[in-house]
Amino acid sequence: MSVVVERSPVPRWLTERISNRHLVAIGVGWVTFFFVFPILFLVVESLNFGSGGLFDAYRRATGGVYLNAFARSFVYGFVTTVVTLAFAYVLAYYLVFASDRVRLLLTLVVVPLWIAYIIRYFGLLLFFSPTGPLGQVGLEIDILFTSTAVVVGLANAYLPFAVLPIYNSLNAIHHETIDASRALGAGQLRTIYEVVVPLSTPGIVAAGVIVFILATGSFLGPAVLGGPEQSMIANEIARTFLEAYNIQLASALAVIYTVLLVAFIAAFNAVFDLQEALGNL
Amino acid sequence: MSVTSSIRRASLVRQGTLLCILVCIYAFLLVPVAIVILTSFTGQSFPAVPYDGISFQWYTELITDSQLLGALVTSFVVATASSLLAVAFGTAAAVGFVRAEFPYKQQLSTIMLLPMIISPVITGIALIRYFGMVDVSSGYPALIVGHSILTVPYVFLLVRSQLVTFDEDLEKASRVLGADSTVTFLNVTAPIISPALLAAFFVAFVVSFGEFTATQFLISPGSSTVPVEIYTMLRTGLTPTINALSTVLVVVMVVAALLSRYFEN
Repeated sequence: MSVVVERSPVPRWLTERISNRHLVAIGVGWVTFFFVFPILFLVVESLNFGSGGLFDAYRRATGGVYLNAFARSFVYGFVTTVVTLAFAYVLAYYLVFASDRVRLLLTLVVVPLWIAYIIRYFGLLLFFSPTGPLGQVGLEIDILFTSTAVVVGLANAYLPFAVLPIYNSLNAIHHETIDASRALGAGQLRTIYEVVVPLSTPGIVAAGVIVFILATGSFLGPAVLGGPEQSMIANEIARTFLEAYNIQLASALAVIYTVLLVAFIAAFNAVFDLQEALGNL
Repeated sequence: MSVTSSIRRASLVRQGTLLCILVCIYAFLLVPVAIVILTSFTGQSFPAVPYDGISFQWYTELITDSQLLGALVTSFVVATASSLLAVAFGTAAAVGFVRAEFPYKQQLSTIMLLPMIISPVITGIALIRYFGMVDVSSGYPALIVGHSILTVPYVFLLVRSQLVTFDEDLEKASRVLGADSTVTFLNVTAPIISPALLAAFFVAFVVSFGEFTATQFLISPGSSTVPVEIYTMLRTGLTPTINALSTVLVVVMVVAALLSRYFEN
């Protein structure tokens, strides 16, 4: 019996040279060339090489309307995070400890992630509009184009991102730990506060950081559900770029926001692992 | 006594309250999408729940609108091409990072995830300015390269998580038996990881197909995508044609997502 080894279609001198490190270089190289460089190039674009100071755009970007937009982004982001975490915790707790249909219920949490943000914001717009399903039956919740509507929209968009990390961390708690707490005389609530919540802190932090990052950077939420008074930083950057066509100022705003965001993630570095948090999704 | 059983034995009132909260949360998550789909079947000239019988007139409207059909074609082409690119580069990186050992590995792999973290508005303006410099024209080339960047983190995470369970002894066996690395890759590695690659492709497809925020900067006249058309129509006034187009978008995205889950398991 003879063994025929298939000949490689690629010449040997080439295949033997592609190592795993080359593969890393290919992947990271693509992202570096088409993402990291463009982002860094924004720093150059934000500087003023004409008459006036080099940092003119930054002076404008940190004043008046833009300062408001920054503040609004962080306030909306914060409120959205708190609301989302509360809902997500209740939901995840129920899924882990009390539900018999975890697979189905977890899938229903993930389904919204398969559907474009714009559709979900559009759905909320219809829901709250005077001609929507509530308006049709004479009920009207008049919150459209207010801060409430934007926060409701953001919470809707990012709730699934919060449920998954909390679910995973709760799911990792050994039931014996909880049983021990109960056996030693702690009531159900005390067990939740002193055992379950502390053990699920990593999941809560991961969920909170992700939701905060995504919510503060949202463009569509305020664009669809808010009015001019609800404009967040992403909307100001887009408006400055597309309507005012002030690339220098738009770049300066983008640089400031990105630096703040990176600082925020770095501040949580000790308790938050970005890789692991995103791996939950 | 476990928490599970004690919750089951909790008073009916408390169970009722919890159930109400849960139903509300699920309704909150799912009702907006349901409304978009439901109101696409209205017979009226604005999106309304069709209590008085369903009508397909807005779908007829949709298939006779060449601009919207063009957007559907663009979205399909861009999602397919960019997902292929993302799978190629994301898989290369995932294989490399799982198998190679080198300094600053962890920090370097974070670069692959950055497009998920940076606000898409910033990605959008950064890309379109940079593309102008390196001669990638707006429209198809910008959309395809841009979407490959936006989707590559998802591919990277998914393929990397699936590769961890890969048995490298199978490859060693193939090499010992005389196959070179390419033949081994084609006959051993590829068949084993191909479900993960298909799953990754469809995840990337879903992300690309629904992306709006960065996309709005990358389009050119004549190469608009479905989410951009929906946004433009939303700004000019509510007609049920938006709902019909949205429903098509939802169907495509859900089918692609289900395919992804099918291959992932």
